[in-house]
Amino acid sequence: MASISSVPRRPAAYRGIGRSLLLTLPIALWSLLMFSRAFQQPDRAGWAGAIVVMLFMTFLFFMMMRTGTTYRWRRYFFVALGFLFPVGFIAALISVRGTMSIPIERMVAGDTPFCFMVIPMLIVPAALTRTIIFPGSILPTASNPHSIAVMIGLWLALSLVVGKAWCSYACFFGGIEEGFAAVARRPRIRRIDPRLRLVPWAMLIFIVALSAALFEPVYCTWFCPFKTVTEFARVRSIETAIQMGIFITLFVALVVVLPILTKKRTQCAFFCPFGAFQSLFNKINLFEIRFNRDKCVDCTLCQSACPTMAISADSVREGKTLLNCMKCGACVDVCKKDAAVWHLKGTRVALKPERARLLFLYGAWAMATMFGGSILGNSLATILHFLPWK
Amino acid sequence: MAVLSFSASIAEALVLGLATGPVCVASCGPVVLPWMLSQPQGVAAQSRQLALFLAARLAGYLIFAAGIWAAGASIPRSWMASSWVFGSIRILLAAGLLVYAAGWRRRRCASAGRPAALVQIGVSPRPKVEGAFALGFLTGVNFCPPFLVAGVRAAQLASLPGTLLFFAFFFAGTAVWFLPFVSFGFLRRTPAVVTVARMTAALMACWYVFTGISSLIERAVYG
Repeated sequence: MASISSVPRRPAAYRGIGRSLLLTLPIALWSLLMFSRAFQQPDRAGWAGAIVVMLFMTFLFFMMMRTGTTYRWRRYFFVALGFLFPVGFIAALISVRGTMSIPIERMVAGDTPFCFMVIPMLIVPAALTRTIIFPGSILPTASNPHSIAVMIGLWLALSLVVGKAWCSYACFFGGIEEGFAAVARRPRIRRIDPRLRLVPWAMLIFIVALSAALFEPVYCTWFCPFKTVTEFARVRSIETAIQMGIFITLFVALVVVLPILTKKRTQCAFFCPFGAFQSLFNKINLFEIRFNRDKCVDCTLCQSACPTMAISADSVREGKTLLNCMKCGACVDVCKKDAAVWHLKGTRVALKPERARLLFLYGAWAMATMFGGSILGNSLATILHFLPWK
Repeated sequence: MAVLSFSASIAEALVLGLATGPVCVASCGPVVLPWMLSQPQGVAAQSRQLALFLAARLAGYLIFAAGIWAAGASIPRSWMASSWVFGSIRILLAAGLLVYAAGWRRRRCASAGRPAALVQIGVSPRPKVEGAFALGFLTGVNFCPPFLVAGVRAAQLASLPGTLLFFAFFFAGTAVWFLPFVSFGFLRRTPAVVTVARMTAALMACWYVFTGISSLIERAVYG
């Protein structure tokens, strides 16, 4: 399998420094705008966190412009987001509640922070009975600003702009497994049954149908691996103990062990029902990855490099990725023949692919800065609070 | 007077079925959905499968109605005792789903080496009539909230024919809500769709095994 970092496609300096800086300027200004609120607070740790993240996001975008590559730089951000999100989140939970577990009385009070993972499960019960089956508040409150309406609105707007790129630029869970997938130099498990790609769709139908039947968000209650590093129902019965066991088992297997062994994002590729749901947005999104058949030599480097197995031999022959492509850019970066290209729907394939990439990256990176950047800033501020020099 | 009372209870059953139909769809959906998705494309084929499923479900309803009528006043005790029954039914339902979910492997081997034109995805050598019937019957006798409501009301009726008719009309009311499932006939049957349907059935089977065993353990431990 080709390692992304070991196969540099483009020369070290794809663009000059001046031109790269010019292209980075909009993102730098956007970062400043996004973090301007942090500078109005008296908290110096918050300032420091905001400055570091602002510089970090701007630097990464600059490097994307300078080198012409995407995956590596996006991965730095994404892994940082994955590992720092639980730090800030758990610290907030402990400071507010004194524990990571959520007591039933807080659930009844609608104090559960909303997670986008629950969105597919809300649709059928809401359509049939006009009921939201999540123990959160629909409108923002002082104690819970991340209400259902705010999160769904934000998610919908961003999904329309970037499609399934949400999963590689905004999801605060995927970075953990991407980090573990980067640990090993080579994969220990190379042969993966391609039918496993379909499991997220089966999981999606399963949890949507079961959530409607049981009138509760089944994925959150029983199957979310990330409950291990966020919040969970307090263990008070055999049932909640079994749920906790399932969370930990899934986390260890799908987020830690299998990514190391396969160098793939196994939870995203072979389990996550939200990812399958999010794939549907690729149908209406303007940006995609295409393969220029005139240049492609069927070397299969792109298939090996794809972290979610979103490229098959058949799809390459058709000049497309599969529906579950997250637009992480791994295939484009690894292709030695420049056959894999960014593409704007409605234009001719390989016609100014860099322009398509730029247009996509401005949207995706603006989203990453707004959504992930604020999480990173808060988490860094939390860490800084614990440092002795403060 | 008797005719009026009879008409009123029939109308009540129908309205109850129509009102609680969405919950019935939600309860039976986890079984119906993967089954219908795995069946051949086309509205006619899907309608046939749905009709079989609903007919078997009606049979389940009527057997349940007879049981309810026999239990009569002692219904609370019989509910308690029935956790054995419902646990076992769920495990049977899981077994049915698993048999069907594993079917793809057998079919794949059976079609190995044959010309591609002769191999139709999702169509088994024998029509899967038993599958729709078995799953329909098992969901028909399975416990769900609307069922409880109808059961409690039917238990108050004096005669067996009255109870059976009450459940038949209750069924008719709920069955209306199942008609949209026929629209799955329009969905193109690719190998991926059939595989996803079978995987979903397997996942659902695991769930029913878990809830069935939990129910049996609960009964064994707490009595």
